[in-house]
Amino acid sequence: MVANVKDKAVIVGVHNTQFSKNSGVSELNLAAQAVKGAIDDAGLKPTDIDGFATFTMDANDEIEVARAVGTGDMTFWGRSHYGGGAATGSLHQAVMAVSTGMAECVAVFRALNGRSGHRFSAGVSEGVMTADIIHWGWYMPYGLLTPASWVAMFTQRWMHNTGVTKDALFEVAHQTRQYAVNNPNAFFHERPFDRAEYDAARMICDPLQLFDCCQESDGASCVIVTTPERARDLKQPGVAVRGVAQAAAADQEQMTSFYRDEFAAIPEMEIAARNCYEMADLTPDDIDAAVIYDAFSPIVLWQIEAWNFCGAGESGDFVLDGALRPDGRLPCNTHGGQLSEAYIHGVNGIVEATKLVRGTSLNQPEKAVNHALVTSGVGIPTGGALLGKLD
Amino acid sequence: MSEYKTRSPEDVSVGDKLDPVAIDITTGLVVCGALATRDFEPVHHDKAEAQATGLPDVFMNILTSQGLMTRFATDWSGPEAVVKSIDLQLGAPNVPGMVMTMSGEVTGVDSESGVVDIKVLGENNIWGMHMQGTVQLALPKEA
Amino acid sequence: MNADELQAFEDEIYAFVGQEVYPPTPAPDDVNMPMIRQWAEIMGDTNPAYLDADWAANSSRGRTIAPPAMMYAWGQEGFQVTKGRSPNAQSNLVALFNKHGYTGVLGTNVKQEYFKEVSPGDNVTIQMVIDNISERKTTSRGTGYFFETLSTFTDQHGDVIGTQRFKVLKFIPQEQPAAAASADGGLEVPTRIASVRGPDNGWWWDAVDEGKVLIQRCKSCQTLRHPPRPMCGECQSMEWDSIESTLKGEVLSYTCVRYPHVPGYPKDPICAVIKLAEGTNLVANVVGCEYEDVSIGMQVTGKVEQVDEKTTLPQFYPA
Repeated sequence: MVANVKDKAVIVGVHNTQFSKNSGVSELNLAAQAVKGAIDDAGLKPTDIDGFATFTMDANDEIEVARAVGTGDMTFWGRSHYGGGAATGSLHQAVMAVSTGMAECVAVFRALNGRSGHRFSAGVSEGVMTADIIHWGWYMPYGLLTPASWVAMFTQRWMHNTGVTKDALFEVAHQTRQYAVNNPNAFFHERPFDRAEYDAARMICDPLQLFDCCQESDGASCVIVTTPERARDLKQPGVAVRGVAQAAAADQEQMTSFYRDEFAAIPEMEIAARNCYEMADLTPDDIDAAVIYDAFSPIVLWQIEAWNFCGAGESGDFVLDGALRPDGRLPCNTHGGQLSEAYIHGVNGIVEATKLVRGTSLNQPEKAVNHALVTSGVGIPTGGALLGKLD
Repeated sequence: MSEYKTRSPEDVSVGDKLDPVAIDITTGLVVCGALATRDFEPVHHDKAEAQATGLPDVFMNILTSQGLMTRFATDWSGPEAVVKSIDLQLGAPNVPGMVMTMSGEVTGVDSESGVVDIKVLGENNIWGMHMQGTVQLALPKEA
Repeated sequence: MNADELQAFEDEIYAFVGQEVYPPTPAPDDVNMPMIRQWAEIMGDTNPAYLDADWAANSSRGRTIAPPAMMYAWGQEGFQVTKGRSPNAQSNLVALFNKHGYTGVLGTNVKQEYFKEVSPGDNVTIQMVIDNISERKTTSRGTGYFFETLSTFTDQHGDVIGTQRFKVLKFIPQEQPAAAASADGGLEVPTRIASVRGPDNGWWWDAVDEGKVLIQRCKSCQTLRHPPRPMCGECQSMEWDSIESTLKGEVLSYTCVRYPHVPGYPKDPICAVIKLAEGTNLVANVVGCEYEDVSIGMQVTGKVEQVDEKTTLPQFYPA
């Protein structure tokens, strides 16, 4: 049975703060800016907000954000776990709250000083994930300490199994860079690169090189979710959540599901995809553009397969045919992605997917975008959402 | 005098690695290295002065680090090589009790001039990178 | 500091650009063998180009030379600096930074270029200027300015023998650096990060300390499982024992963790997922070969080894 939330919650406001390598302000400051910006974009008042959804990893208390922004009374707050797996997970929380009437206007936000504060690339040695310490203990003593190292282990095997080469990884990285060139808020604004520069960059964890890895950024993003009724009276064209799903598959670990019969796979995303399509009554053919979580270049390829845009092992050819480009089958990560815009844990991706459906992306494809996909991080319990125009 | 060999540019390829060398950082090396380079800054020989800057002990002066790194390069190349430049980014201090390991890799060979670029790293076992950068040597061409 | 004060401060510091720290000053002593020999002994440098007159006479140079890295040493001020340096443009600039709170100091880059080798009997003259000062920058150490001195070295013939560029960050310290020393002032040598031992996994690591890799086995249905868990996912039994692995296995995947280098770990450790002959998978290091020699499907044999002062781990070698 798949939950019936189709078109019962609508994204009406979005906002990104300025992204940088050193915000010089607190994470609460960033969160407040993002929430206020999204409220303004929607044409709402702060006091209209009665719920919040964010990541368990977010350092901001909802009540502190509420007081900072002056949102008044609150009837819902919910958090989603598992790092970047919570990107559409927090949207999922908001949709459940709005569609059941637990809240009417929920702010989904993520705010982090991910470069000037704690850096994910520093690995798990700094004690940020104390609840998972037994789990990480199976890997830390060997030096397998960082997100890049865990993803590298999957990538090496996946490339071995499928024969996909770095040509495809480069295409993913290069295309986000091309989009970022046009985005003033992107780290790589007006800084294109070529294959030689990509190949010359330092090796991080074989086979992942520097430009296969996302930014580390300071910034915040927010989207406001409300009911269809309310949405119709607001400033922006509503972007309905057609489907949203989360999933963890059997034998799941956080980033290290190395004990499955074939571990170079993301079965959890396949479950989320299946449930989303069913909920939305859509097929891959209906999806015009996508924002696919890109903490690392290869994970985009795996998700293209999980969402059935091509067959298993065919994602390399799919992207090398130009599918991710502006005139391609699936223009993807048109904001520059987390590889080239900023790493805001995927919530900047929800902002971009909303803009794609509104028709206001800085790299808006020429074709009509009736439906856009947005996904969460992989290697962890994850999820995704399908967005479409509010009827 | 053939007991000392010097590499020629023909012997060297990009990607060649220099055998790592580990140096015990002792109080003797720190203090005497400072004096041998006429660096009498108190932080290099007076523990109390060094501790006043927040470090646990006297720490190695830059001229000694440069000396050790050029030695590492010329030990590899042989004595007929001419040192052209040493360009270092400076990192964590070297303090007695540490072990610094120097490593290097050839990143460029100009067969015309005989100049080779060696990417070098001196890393201590406690705080990591002490110095990293490039040493440039001119190797004599085959006689 | 408000905008006007900042402007005034910056006007004052930028006025130092181009000022001479040392006018051309000949070294008090000529390049000489005793200082060279002492330097080489301490550096552990046995280069005959510096030390062996006979060898040098027959070398392409025809004479011994001074170690190039001594270039700056010849003209250093000497022991009086322990009582403070005489004021000059650099110390005045530093004092100005300090007065405005930019008390932190960090040498960030030093580059020496050498154009001519010198030998005993030559004399080195140093001239130093403040070459440039950056705009105000925010760094991980704090906000501040980089200034760079340029020293030019000439010999008694007026030939430039080399230059040195030295870049220093003067910054407003953000916070005290964490105490680097243990209580008695000694240094603690870092080791690998230990696995926390809890009720469900501690027995496994205790066995590793004894030199054994165990695999948990369900007493009810005999299913092997790793990592250990309190209940069997197949039959839900909570009764278990274990078997000892033969540590024969096959590489399912691997990577070399090149960045960042974490203190306490070997450089560029190879980590692999290994399918043990018993059927369960284990993550461990592959050692005893280069990264290029590892492949998926490769057969490996493990040993339990002490890898540092505090850590014992299974390590796998090519079979």
